[in-house]
Amino acid sequence: MLLDVRDLHVEFRTRDGITHAVNGVDYAVDAGETLAVLGESGSGKSVTAQAVMGILDTPPGRITAGRILFRGQDLLTLKEQERRRIRGAGMAMIFQDALSALNPVLSVGDQLGEMFVVHRGMSRKDARARAVELMDRVRIPAAAQRVRDYPHQFSGGMRQRIMIAMALSLEPALIIADEPTTALDVTVQAQVMDLLAELQREYRMGLILITHDLGVVADVADRIVVMYAGKIVESAPVHDLYKAPAHPYTRGLLDSVPRLDRKGRELYAIRGIPPNLTRIPPGCSFHPRCPMAQDVCRTDEPPLYAVSDGRGSACHFWRECLHGPDH
Amino acid sequence: MAPTTEPILEVGGLVKHYPLTRGILFKKQIGAVKAVDGVDFTLGRGETLGLVGESGCGKSTVAKLLCSLERPTAGSIRFKGEDITGLSGRALKAVRRNIQMVFQDPYTSLNPRMTVGDIVGEPYEIHPEAAPKGDRRRRVQELLDVVGLDPEYVNRYPHQFSGGQRQRIGIARGLALRPEVIVADEPVSALDVSVQAQVINLLDRLQSEFDLSYVFIAHDLSVVRHISDRVGVMYLGRIVEIGRDAEIYDHPTHPYTQALLSAVPVPDPEGRAHRERIILTGDVPSPVDIPSGCRFRTRCWKAQPRCAREVPLLAVPAAFRATPGPAAHPSACHFAEEAVPITPAPPREHGVNGDGPR
Repeated sequence: MLLDVRDLHVEFRTRDGITHAVNGVDYAVDAGETLAVLGESGSGKSVTAQAVMGILDTPPGRITAGRILFRGQDLLTLKEQERRRIRGAGMAMIFQDALSALNPVLSVGDQLGEMFVVHRGMSRKDARARAVELMDRVRIPAAAQRVRDYPHQFSGGMRQRIMIAMALSLEPALIIADEPTTALDVTVQAQVMDLLAELQREYRMGLILITHDLGVVADVADRIVVMYAGKIVESAPVHDLYKAPAHPYTRGLLDSVPRLDRKGRELYAIRGIPPNLTRIPPGCSFHPRCPMAQDVCRTDEPPLYAVSDGRGSACHFWRECLHGPDH
Repeated sequence: MAPTTEPILEVGGLVKHYPLTRGILFKKQIGAVKAVDGVDFTLGRGETLGLVGESGCGKSTVAKLLCSLERPTAGSIRFKGEDITGLSGRALKAVRRNIQMVFQDPYTSLNPRMTVGDIVGEPYEIHPEAAPKGDRRRRVQELLDVVGLDPEYVNRYPHQFSGGQRQRIGIARGLALRPEVIVADEPVSALDVSVQAQVINLLDRLQSEFDLSYVFIAHDLSVVRHISDRVGVMYLGRIVEIGRDAEIYDHPTHPYTQALLSAVPVPDPEGRAHRERIILTGDVPSPVDIPSGCRFRTRCWKAQPRCAREVPLLAVPAAFRATPGPAAHPSACHFAEEAVPITPAPPREHGVNGDGPR
């Protein structure tokens, strides 16, 4: 297994108390595999990724428990210097907002080349040549001329390509893409996702795709984990999950998407709002919004029940959910 | 493409250019951002017209022009037959009452220092004739109730509410003056998926309750389809195709619409391997320097020399004029033809949630 996250807990100390952002997350991704992490804002999907990358702001953030195994080695026991070596060469991250993730006062060539200078000890000239190659690789037109341009001189889609190029530069084994296309228009999103999928196949990278978009997930993922209030509530191969969700939250999300056969009808809407992470409800954290909630859900926290091989649901009533209303 | 009911808004030849100037003392115009460059459409009473397009296509500028927040460079906007583009003073104020806007961002469009009651009641300060002073608090509470918020919340501040609740506050403010037209600019795109459906349902319910006509602007094509009777697709300041929702989504004839629809990720992994995708190359050209002829030709795989010379008009293409059918709707392309429609996802076997609560 390339990456194996086990029972990860992350909290933040804030003025209002302790925010429990990640509360026992387990997931794994293999080489060549795409794992989608689906969740709404505040579900803990990005914080988990930051902990894996080792870029969590500490303080206020703190990893209170868990292990992050990368090729069998627990990253949380490493020194910062050793982690820095893994970051970039072993794993790399693509952020949502390329304009704020890139340095505005350095040319893109310098930023791309920096990877080779720092990690590979190349000369500036060689690094510049590699930067042009990379820009070509992510299909930026006229790369040799544009290598001296600054981030603001590129369009949103082109900037995202530069970020992808930067992440790929040292050919990492794992890429974490945090909402890589959310800020892009739909035609550009299609270009960027296509490129990412192609490069992943070519380099046989593991890809963790963090998103809230059910459509993007359906297009590219092999496996999917659904997060809610800092926990994984469902984990499944992508086809199984879309065919028959085994958690009421997943079901609610799928049912609330506008679709052709729902035209002219009221959409299903999950009632209420996501919980405040300083005061997560007892029992199942989804119970105040759940149409299937029973007394047991208010008191007993559901474990991740094994639904079938490679499939889990953190719902006491996953059977009922899976088989629909006619149980 | 005419609406089925009597028109409440008629937009003709609408243009908005923002001048680009050089020099400080002696400003010289060196060009213009052609944000809206000749838009025509009609909105029927009680109807929802969706406007879709990518960023920079001019859809938000159209919204501002409709609400008289900007003055058009040229063209007309008729509200119940009267051209409102030249109005000023009292006449303008009276028209604005009838066309209200709901904004995209529920975080920045509400004043953080005002209570919810003051925000929702502020329109009455500007239009005192709409509600007598003693009656306002009751009216505000009624409005909160209508949009599904507890009327007891009048004294709270925006930061005490979630994104979805804030958008309800924005909608309540939009309804305060009992307008006939609501222009909603990306009203759900800042919201989480699970909350989007709540707000879409609310807008749907309010439309029939208050006999509203909507111009619904969004980039999310499936949301637009759900709520709209007719849909206009915008590209670089113009509508390139317009028609009933099924005509646009199932029988698009403009290559841009076809590419746009094919790029939308479908929330169904079955058949993703066979899905035909039209991947457009390049980016949208700058609205300062619009291509000659058809403005889409620089990214179009069908472009011919004719496309650079002749501007295609937004009309039913000749090929479909003789055969009335869903493909016979206005499309601004010299080579309009039907592509294979994208097959919709089949409904899942079980739907526990059905139509659900609102």
